[in-house]
Amino acid sequence: MTAAAILIPLVAAIVAWRLPRRVAAVVALVGTIATFLVATFLAGAPALEIAWLPALGIGFRLDPAGVSSVLILAASLTMIPTVLVAGRHVGERDAPAFLALLLVMQASLNGLFLASDLVLTYVFWEATLIPSLLMLGLFGGDRRRGAVTKYLIYAVSGSFLMLASILALRPLSGAESYAFADLLPATRALDPVTQAWLFAGFAAAFAVKLPLFPLHSWLIDFHRQNHPSGVADVAGTLYKVGGFGFFAWAIPLLPAGAQAFQPWLLTLAAVTAVWGGLAATQQKDLKSLMAYMSLSHMGLVGIGVFSLTAAGMNGAMILLAAQMLSTGGLFLLSGMLHRRRDTFELDAFGGLAKSAPALAAVTLLVLFAAIGVPGLSNFPGEFMSLMGGYAASPWLISFAALGSVVAAGVYGVNTYQRLYQGRAREGTRDLNGLEVLVIAPILAGILWLGLAPAPQIARIDAATVVALELEVDTTGETTGQTPAGAAERLANDQEAIPAPDLALGGEP
Amino acid sequence: MSDPAAWIALVPAIALAGALINGLFGRSFREPFPGVLATVVAATGFVLSFVAFVALQGREQAHVALELWPYLQAGSFDLSLGVMVDPLSVLMMLVITGVGTLIHLYSVGYMHGDAGYSRYFSFLNLFIAAMSVLVLADSFMLMFVGWEGVGVSSFLLIGFWYQTKANADAARKAFIVNRIGDVGFLLAMFLMVATFGTLNIAEVNAGAVGLAFGSGTLALIGLFLLVAAAGKSAQLPLQVWLPDAMAGPTPVSALIHAATMVTAGVYLIARTAPLFSMTPLASAVVAWVGALTALVAALAALGQTDIKKILAYSTISQLGYMFVAVGVGAYWVAIFHVFTHAFFKALLFLGSGSVIHALGGEQDIRRMGGLGAKMRITGTTSLIATLAIAGVPLLSGFFSKDAILAHAFTSIHLDGYGTYGLYGVLLLTAALTAFYMFRWYYGIFGGTSRMTAKAAANVHESPATMTVPLMVLAFFAVFAGYLGLPEFAFPNWIAHWLEPATLGELTEVPFRHPAAWVEWMLILASIVAAGAGLALGWWIYAARKGAPIRGLAEGPLARLSRSGLGFDAAYRALFIGGAEGTASGVAVLDRDLVDRGLLGLGTALTFFGRLSARLQSGFVRAYALAMFVGVGVLVILVAWMGVRA
Repeated sequence: MTAAAILIPLVAAIVAWRLPRRVAAVVALVGTIATFLVATFLAGAPALEIAWLPALGIGFRLDPAGVSSVLILAASLTMIPTVLVAGRHVGERDAPAFLALLLVMQASLNGLFLASDLVLTYVFWEATLIPSLLMLGLFGGDRRRGAVTKYLIYAVSGSFLMLASILALRPLSGAESYAFADLLPATRALDPVTQAWLFAGFAAAFAVKLPLFPLHSWLIDFHRQNHPSGVADVAGTLYKVGGFGFFAWAIPLLPAGAQAFQPWLLTLAAVTAVWGGLAATQQKDLKSLMAYMSLSHMGLVGIGVFSLTAAGMNGAMILLAAQMLSTGGLFLLSGMLHRRRDTFELDAFGGLAKSAPALAAVTLLVLFAAIGVPGLSNFPGEFMSLMGGYAASPWLISFAALGSVVAAGVYGVNTYQRLYQGRAREGTRDLNGLEVLVIAPILAGILWLGLAPAPQIARIDAATVVALELEVDTTGETTGQTPAGAAERLANDQEAIPAPDLALGGEP
Repeated sequence: MSDPAAWIALVPAIALAGALINGLFGRSFREPFPGVLATVVAATGFVLSFVAFVALQGREQAHVALELWPYLQAGSFDLSLGVMVDPLSVLMMLVITGVGTLIHLYSVGYMHGDAGYSRYFSFLNLFIAAMSVLVLADSFMLMFVGWEGVGVSSFLLIGFWYQTKANADAARKAFIVNRIGDVGFLLAMFLMVATFGTLNIAEVNAGAVGLAFGSGTLALIGLFLLVAAAGKSAQLPLQVWLPDAMAGPTPVSALIHAATMVTAGVYLIARTAPLFSMTPLASAVVAWVGALTALVAALAALGQTDIKKILAYSTISQLGYMFVAVGVGAYWVAIFHVFTHAFFKALLFLGSGSVIHALGGEQDIRRMGGLGAKMRITGTTSLIATLAIAGVPLLSGFFSKDAILAHAFTSIHLDGYGTYGLYGVLLLTAALTAFYMFRWYYGIFGGTSRMTAKAAANVHESPATMTVPLMVLAFFAVFAGYLGLPEFAFPNWIAHWLEPATLGELTEVPFRHPAAWVEWMLILASIVAAGAGLALGWWIYAARKGAPIRGLAEGPLARLSRSGLGFDAAYRALFIGGAEGTASGVAVLDRDLVDRGLLGLGTALTFFGRLSARLQSGFVRAYALAMFVGVGVLVILVAWMGVRA
């Protein structure tokens, strides 16, 4: 069951690769739907361990517990409409290869989420790079070569430092294998200085992939130059796994290292959230706008993760899942708009609500989801990320909340106004049957995560409790030690935050 | 759900269903079906609210909690969504669904023939759903869901006629200004969690009472909540969106931007009454924000010439009164004014709508006049509402406004924060209110016609779907005040109904109890203020035909008033310019500096990475080498194929 989440898309990719477009599209669709069905059962599935290179302590270890199942569920739901669009709107000749790459991407992403062996994680980490590079390089826009180069340099330099940390981890800690469970007690026992150095290596890779200001410029070019159907951008959106890397590996294994870097990383994340939001308000091109919007969301993910609080970390992961649907949905909608006007220039649109009311309505809904309107997908994650961040650093996060939330309001309604309101120079057609099918799973997912996120958050919480070393005793009360001090203060120790200090400007 | 009082929890679901049906299938329905459906939905909400109201009567514990489903979790913190049915939420629900039903009914006639007929009713039901969530929520989290939900409905309805750029701009402005308020709400919640470990309203209130009186944390939570409330209720300095919001259809202005949504800020503070009762500092800021807003908005109302903008500033001003009431700790009084204001202000707006409807879209009162004779029902009901808001004795607005003035005068909670100043500002504003409302009424319905002959010939009274709501509202505009007669001498139902739900048994806010003759003098002062305002209005506009102010009309003072005291221009210069400058600076920096600077760094990192790789040994090195060779090959492949394609 667990391995099926990787094998199904992989097999579908191999099958689809050489088939004619129509058949390949059907194969890919069946593959993604089957993967989604597997994903719905994944939370209860058993862990898997296959000996691989026992002498080196490396195993093919997969564990669907915790955050993995949540991210795979959201990603596989997003993949269904994405494959639908790719099968239809990528050129006749390119479609099979495009579909195969999407499926390879899904397989390796699922592998990355599931892996509970550090080396295996690294293998999947690098493996995801390949299809995303190929999609950009093969099917991107006119200036894709620059984008590919930049993307590659950023990704590879980050990965390389991570590799160095991975290599050093076992000899230094004396852990029996690269399995998460074996590493955990050993690496946590390392002295803080060693932890800090090792953490820096991981942080380089994850911060690039998050991305964190000022390492984000590859992201903008990546989205600007990708295929105009928006399909590759969706894959790129699913691929924003930097926050997951921090959550699942760097922070649990190296808590003292995380503590050492927390102030810097939290600050950078806050800057990212505001920077991306402000830059998004100024864009004249729909895809650039979405790229910066996505950057701002990643800043919020970073705030949650680097808060090192239970609320923040849960929030960051559920936000990661939510933005797959909302940002992914917006990229699919941008593709629909591009098919109508053959451009992403916002000035080319306007007044479309009159002739395409259904398209306008779904765009508004997905936009509202993306800017964190409560009741829709992004809100629970945004809220908890900021709430955790606030517990860690009230003033910094107040600034980040003000900047990012207001900026989101501005670019959210501005985008809607420029696309759909006012008077249209010419009309356009409304959603067709295929487009309804494409957007329906996105809307369902947005409402699902917005209204009832609790079961997913509970799964994430189980991993957070381990990551932050929260001790959950039989009464359900949480008592903690380092490094999760902030989480406990947040959770149950009211005395820990002296009341008047907050008001008078001192940080607790 | 066996308790009939809990059935009210179905209202949001029913209203949402109504919105969905009209939203998805509305265009295949024929008029007036969408309107009738939406009205029935709103009326069902009213029936359920009334059932809850009756069910709560005479209960020892007039409080029903209903847990819905879990929502958030983090370590030992968890949060479930739930509904709280108590006297305060039920009274608000009665107003929302009661006035809401009347306005739905009115809209059936008002929106007749509009291309977006079903869309309009879909949005209206969506608003009812969101507002019910806001009011019924048992946690700040769920309240925030409704809070932004009403903001979204307001955005949709202000920009309802979106093809006109000005309307879309007004909708955008409302949404963005409200987002600033929402950040206040978020920060208040974060601080609540950090302080009390919960977002449940009752638990936060109980926790607040347990902290030291006047604690800095409580003051900060209170001020954050005030930012939220000021955004939603259009108080200084966030009042600028409401006059623009008049771009929406007039029944929307009546329901959302007068009777219900804009009172959400008052509701929020009344809901957290125990918390505010512990922090005189935050309470004083609330009261002074309210008083200054009341005055500033009244001054702005003097110079308006748009039939709806006068009322918009009047709403801002009346909301200021309510803020003073919650600020001085008279929480039930504030809700009492919410209650009476809902009727007479909705009536004023619907009366305006009836006039606009009759004049084919004319909104400038300088081109009206003398309509009272041609539109008897609209004219009479508007007169009643005008007298009610002006504070004429024995009408509803008199009792609630007088209660606010009296409580400001006798406040102990805000001792040392200038309670007599608050009283003085409000008394002056009361006179101004009577004055500008006389101008409004007389300019439309009194005197002689200033219309073109063509417009005058088409004037007609509106159809029954519009006049019936006017008459029902007029009834309440007269009699709603009798639920809250002055306590010192008369029975007062509403105070006893609301007090368990605001302060409850947690704490109390003291007021001085002066001798009865002082209370009577206060009432007399209110009557004199209202009378003076009306008399001055009559002298200037009716007796002297506007002659005494003729020279002023184009002067700088009139211009200042007409511009809403210049806030928009100041904000454009100070904040919008600054924010846009910063944002465009960020955008430029991002393209030019971040982009180029780090590419070089990236190359350097790769180089060092490769260097260090040679120093390592074992399988992983071999693997890494293979990976990089592979990636290298791929890059070449990609580049080659890219050239070919």
